[in-house]
Amino acid sequence: MKAPRHKDTRIPRRPFLWLAAALLFTLPPMFGALSSWVPAIFLIALAAKFWMEPRGYRLRSLVWKLLLGATALVCIFVSYGSIKGIEPGVSLIAILMSLKILEAHTGREFQVMAMVAWILCLCGFFLSQDLSIAVCLLTAFTLVLVALIQFHSGSSAAFWPPVRTACKLLAQALPIIAALFLFFPRIATGFRFQIVQSRLSATGFGDQLSPGSISSLAKSTRVAFRAEFPDGRIPSPAAMYWRGAVLRQCNGLEWRALEEPASIPRFSQHVPESEGIRQWITIEPYGGHWMFALDWPATPVTGTTLAPGHCLWSAQAIRKAKRYEVTSFPKNRKEELHPRERKILLEVPARISPAVWQLVQSWKATDPSPRAVLRTALQFFRTQHFRYSLSPGEYQNNDLDEFLFHRRLGFCEHYAAAFATLMRLAGVPARVVVGYLGGEYNELGRFFLVREADTHAWCEVWLEDSGWVRVDPTSVVAPDRVNLGLNLFLERRAASGQVQSGQSQLARTLARSRIFAEARLAWQAVNYAWDTRVLSFDSETQKSFLGEIGIRSNGPLPLIGWSFAIASGLIVIYAGWMGLFTRVGGDRVKTLYKQFCRKAARLGVHNKPSEGPSDFANRAARLLPNESDRIRRISDAYITARYSASATPVVTEELAKEVSRFAKTRLRPVKLKT
Amino acid sequence: MKRPRMARIYPASGLAGLLFVLTAIWYAAATQGNAAAYLLLFVLAAVFLVSIPHTLLNLVGLKATAESVKPAFAGSEVSLPVEILNQSTVGRHGIELSVLGCKGQPVRINRIPAGQATRVTLRFAASKRGQHQMGMLRLECVYPLGFLRAYRSVTTRQQYLVYPRPAGDPNLPLESASRSENKPQPELGEGDDFAGVRPYILGESQRHIDWKAVARGHELMTKQFSTDTRGSLCFELAAARFPDVEDQLSQLTLWVIEAERERRAYGLRLPTGEIAPSFGQAHFHQCLRALALF
Repeated sequence: MKAPRHKDTRIPRRPFLWLAAALLFTLPPMFGALSSWVPAIFLIALAAKFWMEPRGYRLRSLVWKLLLGATALVCIFVSYGSIKGIEPGVSLIAILMSLKILEAHTGREFQVMAMVAWILCLCGFFLSQDLSIAVCLLTAFTLVLVALIQFHSGSSAAFWPPVRTACKLLAQALPIIAALFLFFPRIATGFRFQIVQSRLSATGFGDQLSPGSISSLAKSTRVAFRAEFPDGRIPSPAAMYWRGAVLRQCNGLEWRALEEPASIPRFSQHVPESEGIRQWITIEPYGGHWMFALDWPATPVTGTTLAPGHCLWSAQAIRKAKRYEVTSFPKNRKEELHPRERKILLEVPARISPAVWQLVQSWKATDPSPRAVLRTALQFFRTQHFRYSLSPGEYQNNDLDEFLFHRRLGFCEHYAAAFATLMRLAGVPARVVVGYLGGEYNELGRFFLVREADTHAWCEVWLEDSGWVRVDPTSVVAPDRVNLGLNLFLERRAASGQVQSGQSQLARTLARSRIFAEARLAWQAVNYAWDTRVLSFDSETQKSFLGEIGIRSNGPLPLIGWSFAIASGLIVIYAGWMGLFTRVGGDRVKTLYKQFCRKAARLGVHNKPSEGPSDFANRAARLLPNESDRIRRISDAYITARYSASATPVVTEELAKEVSRFAKTRLRPVKLKT
Repeated sequence: MKRPRMARIYPASGLAGLLFVLTAIWYAAATQGNAAAYLLLFVLAAVFLVSIPHTLLNLVGLKATAESVKPAFAGSEVSLPVEILNQSTVGRHGIELSVLGCKGQPVRINRIPAGQATRVTLRFAASKRGQHQMGMLRLECVYPLGFLRAYRSVTTRQQYLVYPRPAGDPNLPLESASRSENKPQPELGEGDDFAGVRPYILGESQRHIDWKAVARGHELMTKQFSTDTRGSLCFELAAARFPDVEDQLSQLTLWVIEAERERRAYGLRLPTGEIAPSFGQAHFHQCLRALALF
C-alpha cells in the first residue's frame, strides 16, 4: 500500500533540455582557459546523459563514482601541476558536474544540478569577465531559470510560457539588481585566498623592449584600454601618445626599465601653468603594473606612483578592469637633470661597433649642438631608405650595424631603440618610452578605444633649453603610421600591394561595410559601458558614488539594511501590482444581473427569493412600464448567457450595455390599482 | 461566504541549496573583488526575491470543491474527486493538492488555464470503518523556482463512509442454519434469465427498459429477470466465530461480498435492526452501510 515518497525516478525531458542548453552556455570561458579535456569530458557526459536517460541507465555504483572522481583529481593534478588555484578548481567543479549529470535521476537532483550550473556561471566569471563571456554566462543563468520554471510547472507544459515567465522574473528583478548593485556594500574579507593567475601573465607589455616584442603585439586585437575626455579637450590622434613604461637601460636594440620604479622616491610635484587634459581611462586587466595616460601625466592616481620619467606605476598588478582619472599636460615643464641621473641616461653598451661610432662622430663633426645632431639623425633615417615593416625578421645579437647599414627594415621598436642609442652615443641623454599611439574613436560611446595593436615605442631626448622632448623616429620613416593609425596604415599598404594581408577580400569588404562598422561601434560602446559601469565598480567607486548622493556610510550593516529595504519595498509593490491584475474575476454575468436587481430594487421592485429571472422580469416590466422593453432584453440576455449553450461574449456585452442603461432616468414605479 | 485565506509561505527543500550558492558567490566575489561575480549574486538574489510574490499569488483565485465520495472498504483507498476552479485571470501552474493529515502522494496539476476548472482524484488510505468528516484540503505550489512552498488550506464539508475491512472465512455459512424458506422460488428482480416485461414505473432504473420495444413505438416497459435462488441467507454477528466485534463485522462484510457475487439473496440481522434478504447493488450497499455504522 505504501507509495514511495519520491516516485520521480526520471528527470523530465524538457526541463533537462533547457538545463543542457544552459550548461552549453557555461562552456565558452572554459574552452579558452582550461585544459581542453575538461570541457570535452563535460560535453561527453552531457551527450551520454541524453543517450542513457531514455534507456534508464545511470551511474549507480558508488565505487565507480569514487573511482571516476579520483581519476579526475589525478588528471587535474597532472595537467596543472597543482590542485590549488582557479583553473584546477574550476576544472574540478566541471568534472564533478559531469559526474552529477551521469548519476542524477530524481527531481531533487535536478534542483541540485541547477545550483551547480549557477556555480559554473560563477566559475566562468573567474576565468574571464569579457562582455561576450558575460553575455554567454547570463544567458546560461536565464536558461537555468527557464529549466527550473519548466520543471516546477510540470513537464507537459508548453515550450514558451516558461521562457516568458523567466523573462518576466528577470525584468521585474532589474530594479532590484540595480539597487543591490549600487548599495550593497563591497566588503573586503580579511581572509583573501590568492588565486594563481597563470593566464594573465604580463602579455607583451613588459619592462623591456627587445626586437619583436612589440610587433608580436601588433597583431593582437585585444583591447588595452579605453579613454574618455570628460572636458571635451581631445588632442589629434597623431598627437595621442599614451605613455606607458620608460626604458632607460640601453643595450643596443634592446632596452630595459632600469629598476623597480616603486623603489625610486617620487619627484616633487608641481603643476604646470598650462591647462591639462583630463582623461578617464578604463584599463583592461593585463597582468602588468604600468598604467597609461597621455603625455605627460601629472596627477597621480590612488594606488599608483608617478614613477620617474612621468609614468604611472601601479603597486598591484592590474588583474581586473580598473577606471581612473588622470590629468596630463602636453607641455612638459623644464626640469633639472641631476648629474647622477644624467650619467645613467648616457650609459651605452660596451659592444658598439666602430662603424656606428664613426657615424655618430661624423654627425657631431658638422655641428656638435644636440639639436643639430638630432636633426641630422632624423635626416639619416629619412634619406637612407629605411623601411617600416611589421615583420622585419630577426636581428642577431641586437645587431645595430645590421639594422643601420644593411637591412634597414624595422618596426617602431627598432627605430626608437636605435635612435635613442645613437643619441646617447652623441652625448645627448635619451630614453625610450613604450606606450600606445592613437586610438579608435567610438562616436556612440564617445570614447577612444586603444588596442594592443596600437602599441608604439618612441624616444625622448634631453635638451638643455627645453627639457625632455619627444622624438618619434617612426614618424620620419613612415609618417602615415603616426597620422593614420596602424590598422588604416596597414590597410592602405595592403591596397597598394606593399604588404600581404592575411584577411580575405570578403572579410575586408565586410569589415568596411556600414552596418558592420556600426554594429562594431555599438558593441564596443556596450563593452565600454560594461567595463566602466560594472566591472570597475569596486568599493572605492561605491564610496565616492554614495558620497555624491549624500549617504555617509558608517559600516556595511546600514547599507545592507538599506539595500534590502529598497528590495523588499519593490517586492511589495510588485505583489500589489500583480495582485491587482490577477484579482479573482468571478462571474461577470452574475455580477451584472445582481447590479440589475439592485437597480430595480432602488425603483421599488424587489427580487423575491422564490422568483426566477423571467417571472421577476414580467413583474418588473409590469411595474415599470417605461422600461419594460429593456427589462425583457436584460432578462433574455441573462438567461441566454447563463443557461444557453450558445452563450457568446457578445451576449454578455449586450447585457452589460443594457444594464448600464437601465434606470438612467429616475423613474417612479407605477402604483397598480388592484 | 468567507473570503479564502491568504496563502502562507515556507521554505522548500531547495532553499538551503540556494542559500549555499548565494553565500558561495558572495564569498568568492568579496574575496576576489570580482564585480561580475557580484552582479551574478545580485541577479540571483533579486530573481529569488521576485519569485516570492509569484509563488504566493499562484494560489490566488483557486477554488477547490470536493465532490461526493464513493464509500471504500477499510484498508483500501478512498477516492475523492476534487474540482479545482481557477477564478483568476491568469493561468496557474504546478499546483499540488493533498488531504491535510493524510499521508500519500499529493496530486499534481500542471496547469489550470484562466477561468477553467480541472478535476482530479485524491486518493488516501481508509483506515477505520464508519462515517468520516473530510479533513482540510491543502493547496500547495513551489512554482516558479522551487525555493519556496506556498500553501493554503481549504475546508470541505464532505463526508465519506468507510465499510469494514472484509476478512475472515470466505465460505458462506451453511444454508440450513439460516434458511428462511425451504422451497426454491423464482424471484423476480435482477437475475440472469429473462422472465417477461411489465410497465415501467417512474423513478426506476433505466437499465432494464426494453429500448428495442420503445424503438418500435411501444410504451416504456421494464424487462424482468429471474434467478434461481437456492434459498436466502441471513447473516448474524453470532454466526461469525470471532470474539471481537470488529472481526465479526469484517466476517459479515466478506460474506455480504461473497453472497452478492454469487447473486444469492442475503439479509442481515443485527442488534440495531434487520435487513430483509435480497440482492442487487442498492441492497448490497445498504447492508454494508449498516455494517459500517454499527
